[in-house]
Amino acid sequence: MLITRVLCSRTPNADGFWKRRRVFKLTAHYYGRKRNCYSIAIRYLHRALVYVRKSRKLKKRDAVELWQQRISAGCRELGSSYEALVRGMARCQIALDRKTLANLAIWEPRTFKSLTHIAAAKLQREPIKGLNDFSPPPAGVITRGML
Amino acid sequence: MSNKHLFLPSGFIRTPLQNGLGRYIPQLQRITLKFCKNHGGSRGVRDFIETDLMEFAKTNPGTVVYLKPRRHRYPCMVAEYLNGEREYLSCHEFSRAEIQKWLSYMCTRSGIPVMRFRKYQHTDYPSIQGVWNPFTHQAPEINVAQFPHEILSKPVDNGPTATDQLIEIFKKTQIKDPVKPEH
Repeated sequence: MLITRVLCSRTPNADGFWKRRRVFKLTAHYYGRKRNCYSIAIRYLHRALVYVRKSRKLKKRDAVELWQQRISAGCRELGSSYEALVRGMARCQIALDRKTLANLAIWEPRTFKSLTHIAAAKLQREPIKGLNDFSPPPAGVITRGML
Repeated sequence: MSNKHLFLPSGFIRTPLQNGLGRYIPQLQRITLKFCKNHGGSRGVRDFIETDLMEFAKTNPGTVVYLKPRRHRYPCMVAEYLNGEREYLSCHEFSRAEIQKWLSYMCTRSGIPVMRFRKYQHTDYPSIQGVWNPFTHQAPEINVAQFPHEILSKPVDNGPTATDQLIEIFKKTQIKDPVKPEH
């Protein structure tokens, strides 16, 4: 028997069904042939996976930008500025992150207002050159020399 | 990855009627065990019924246990919850330990359908001081102000504009006492 040809022949890919199944599970919500035909689906799946990878950083960046916008808007309403708040708080050693500040501005507005006053009071005592984008705190801010 | 490929509904975490805040009430109303008396696939269920079922019934007094011996049928369990949801599980070829584990899973569930949680925290009272609204930081005097008002009707003064500042700079560059040319 001529066995050379038999030995040289390649077995079909035993993992074919499962390999395609892994792809189709992820493309199940696509439209038309992109969902059912492997060679088409794999192209769109690759793009989707690339976007997923890139957007992990972008999502964090977008969230931080949104928080900064909200804090800035909240500060502007109260006669302060984002920079004044952040730098004043840093000098008072109040380490609240932007997520917390944005949540306070929305859900606990009086706490946020008092934070702006604390920052303004600190900057009044220890002014920063070039930073005057805030109004001085009202007379009711009592520091008792703690700042 | 977007979770659309899971085809799973998404929602926020919740409990029925703040269960557990005061007293915890198990949400499983009744559990029905269907099995065959002869078939091999029901062996686990039969073993469970013979050994662990009474203990289970004693530890869960609020749950009614029904047994349905049906010939030539595969074993299954159907859990019904206080909010009306039903959960079916096939117990074919399960061992006694597996059935015990799945049963305890059914007991500890509430009837809220399995879903993807968007957040793992929930509060009915997100704000203590009151949610921000455009009037939060406004003076209460505007409530009784008669418009047109002498102060409130005026535009907000933000200091000199860029145009004003340029005019000031220009004026400073001008000669203060110009000497008139003598003819």
